[in-house]
Amino acid sequence: MSTLTVPAGSAGESLGSVAPTASGSPGTGSVVELRGVTKWYGNVVAVNDITMTLGPGITGLLGPNGAGKTTVLHMMAGFLPPSRGEVLVGGQPAWRNPSVYSGLGIMVEREAVHGFLSGWEFVLASAKLHRLRNPEAAARRAIELVDMVEPMHRRMSTYSKGMRQRMRVAAALVHDPAVLLLDEPFNGMDPRQRLHMMDLLHAMGDAGRTVLFSSHILEEVEQISGTVQVIVAGRLAASGDFRTIRRLMTHRPHVFTIRSSDDRRLAVALMGLASVAGVDIDPKGGLTVRASDYGTFTRELPKIALAEQIRVQRLVPADESLESVFSYLVGA
Amino acid sequence: MSSPVTTARPAAGPGGVIHDIGYRRYAGPRLGRAYATRSLFVHSLRTAYGLGRSTLAKLFPWGILVVLVGIAAIFVAIQSQLPPGVTERVFTYWQFPTQTNVLVLFFCAVAAPELVSRDLRGGVLPLYFSRPLSRADYPVAKFAALVSAVFLLLLVPLLALFLGSAFSQDSMGAVADEFGLFLQGVVVAALTAVLFSAIALLIASLSGRRAVAAALIVGAFILTTPLLLVLQLLAWANATVDGELTGAGEQLFQLSFLASPFTIVEGIGGWLFDPDEPLVGPYGPLYLVVTLAIVATCLLLTLVRYRKVAR
Amino acid sequence: MTTLQPASPPNAQARGRLAVFNPTIARITARALFGRLRFLLLLPLPVLVVGLAVLTEIAGVRTSDWVDVVVLGLGLTVVLPVLALIIGNGVLGTEIDDGTLAHVLAKPLPRREIILSKLAVAVGVTTVATGVPLALTGLIAGSSRLAVGLAVGSFVGSLAYCAFFAALSLLTRRPVLVGLAYILIWETLLQSILDGTRVLSIYQYVRTVVDRVADSELVSSNLSLAVALSMTFIFTVGFTLLAIDRLRSFAVVGETS
Repeated sequence: MSTLTVPAGSAGESLGSVAPTASGSPGTGSVVELRGVTKWYGNVVAVNDITMTLGPGITGLLGPNGAGKTTVLHMMAGFLPPSRGEVLVGGQPAWRNPSVYSGLGIMVEREAVHGFLSGWEFVLASAKLHRLRNPEAAARRAIELVDMVEPMHRRMSTYSKGMRQRMRVAAALVHDPAVLLLDEPFNGMDPRQRLHMMDLLHAMGDAGRTVLFSSHILEEVEQISGTVQVIVAGRLAASGDFRTIRRLMTHRPHVFTIRSSDDRRLAVALMGLASVAGVDIDPKGGLTVRASDYGTFTRELPKIALAEQIRVQRLVPADESLESVFSYLVGA
Repeated sequence: MSSPVTTARPAAGPGGVIHDIGYRRYAGPRLGRAYATRSLFVHSLRTAYGLGRSTLAKLFPWGILVVLVGIAAIFVAIQSQLPPGVTERVFTYWQFPTQTNVLVLFFCAVAAPELVSRDLRGGVLPLYFSRPLSRADYPVAKFAALVSAVFLLLLVPLLALFLGSAFSQDSMGAVADEFGLFLQGVVVAALTAVLFSAIALLIASLSGRRAVAAALIVGAFILTTPLLLVLQLLAWANATVDGELTGAGEQLFQLSFLASPFTIVEGIGGWLFDPDEPLVGPYGPLYLVVTLAIVATCLLLTLVRYRKVAR
Repeated sequence: MTTLQPASPPNAQARGRLAVFNPTIARITARALFGRLRFLLLLPLPVLVVGLAVLTEIAGVRTSDWVDVVVLGLGLTVVLPVLALIIGNGVLGTEIDDGTLAHVLAKPLPRREIILSKLAVAVGVTTVATGVPLALTGLIAGSSRLAVGLAVGSFVGSLAYCAFFAALSLLTRRPVLVGLAYILIWETLLQSILDGTRVLSIYQYVRTVVDRVADSELVSSNLSLAVALSMTFIFTVGFTLLAIDRLRSFAVVGETS
């Protein structure tokens, strides 16, 4: 399987089918729960009272560096004990419970592998340590999924960073876990590899697995999933679809860029609306409108354009991107 | 939007202008290579004693210093307990560094990796070498810092010995004599510092892991003691029935102390300060030459190492 | 078309596996050990021991003298503990340092299995690396019983030292320094000053075992065999259990923590 071009939306077909989880329907095996989880180191509170539930599908864990994403991920992975609260994976506590790893796959941020192992040996060892019935077949399949079949017999020390990342993902999913946790998985991947990995994760999420990946690169999160958990300074700042989150922040006006046949007259008319907080006239043409009420504005604008006989040529929301949501949340 | 305060003409071009919002070029004096080397020396010396770092980093060096001063205090206490008129000395200044050899070794095994292994591990050598420092300045500054650190480690307890003894002397003449003996100790301390530092620094520069470097240093030093004993065994193998050494055996025995850094300096000290019963016979000057040769070789190898290491 | 089949059910406990040794972990640990430069740097030590034995024997030095210096003074006092330190720390401490331990921890394996597999490798390698040269010196000294005694002593010493040094990797941030302090200060220095510490010195246990097995006048010891063996047992089992417990609560932190 060596396809490069993965048509968007047809991830399931091009990658080969990713079977639904062994547990069938999204049962408790694939649910990750954090209940009132707090983690402190001495005086520093790294994670502050986070409660969240992750179900099947893909979730992006978003936040600036130092926000606590890695700490949250490590607690879900059973690598750190919470100072307070509970971390449950499939109903079982994650800490001091090695049996939870049969249904849990982890890829940590730290790139540490034994360089003398070949990629094949590395994934095979992972399969054997998971006590799979047929480790060679599982390893082979995992390596095919991440498209690393050709270099798999070379030593890992000769791999590029992106290749190592992909091998580590293969090792993390070789046992077909119901829950997959990835810390900054796209580090070091070139755009082609990133697309491929995104589609793989999408396929796994669609097949009923819970996939959580963390990132501070907004473009990655924007493209791969609609569900994000935003962590800022140890607190869960927002959850859900990022567009919905954006709209919920009504105290920040929505910003639109409008181009019309008569900007000035449109500006005057818009200033009369209660839902408009301000209008700026761009010297190069066009208007920048700040609307405090998204819904009302979008309904009023066509009426005004019609009444004033102004043709609206362009209407672009200027801050729908995750970046602006992010910066609002971080700055708040 | 108010216009930014400009103190220089903003650079202007077609279609754009860069405002000077306060970025200042550095127009002050640029201190050169000597200053950089001196700063590295001071910084390294502080690192050896854990200054500017966490409490745990201070534990080892200061702990060893406290132990050494404690030993000195015990010596002084015992000496002062002797009845007056007894001229026998409980301790000698020039033998103090050799008696506390093991602690000095431990200090070197902790300090040398702190000085050089951390830089190797962190890959910061390119940062150092892209400054006015030359490739030779770095190891020289580190060596000077380690020597100073070890020398201070020995100097302070020696001072304690001197001050403790001086107060129990009767006359200024006796104090002056005591000071002369103290200076003997200083000389041996300096030799010990230089020898141990040269070897420890060379070994530490081989590894980026502090633990491995420490193990290698300790291992290398400790290994020399059995070698020394083996040489002595070989010397005694041909002893006379009375247990006396003659000829080649005696020479071998006298030369055997060259085998271990622990005893080389003692050999020099014996030659210089105890001419009545020289343990090393006529070979005193040879010991000094060998010591300097070892130091020079180690320094040279360290310089070569830092010439070759890339990061 | 490839399909990712569901994994086999991970109920190894149902299959009655006694989780004591894992060949995969052992193999990888052994390969990692032999690949490191510092391991190779230590191989000259056993060669040195044998070389010195040969040299002194040929030169006509009295056997009891050189056995005292080379076998006891160099072999058992320095080579055995230092090799055990580098190897015992190498099987666990280095993986903690460079982060590769996380791979093994993220598996449904009982922690006992992980520790025991690694310790088996450590003890095996140390025993061979020290037992063989020491046994050779025994033969050079003309006593095959001494050779056997030294080999057995190496094994006993490896057990206690490796368990201790491996556990140190999980107990402190500077395990090699603490290990060195034990060898240098506790075993070497204090021995000559305080007699009471003999009961707590692995070197003494090893020496006792060698003495009793070899039954030779070349080696003498101070403790009784019962004390030596029971203390070795306590050291080995105690630190192994401690290591297993610490591994269960081992926190893997991220890079920026």
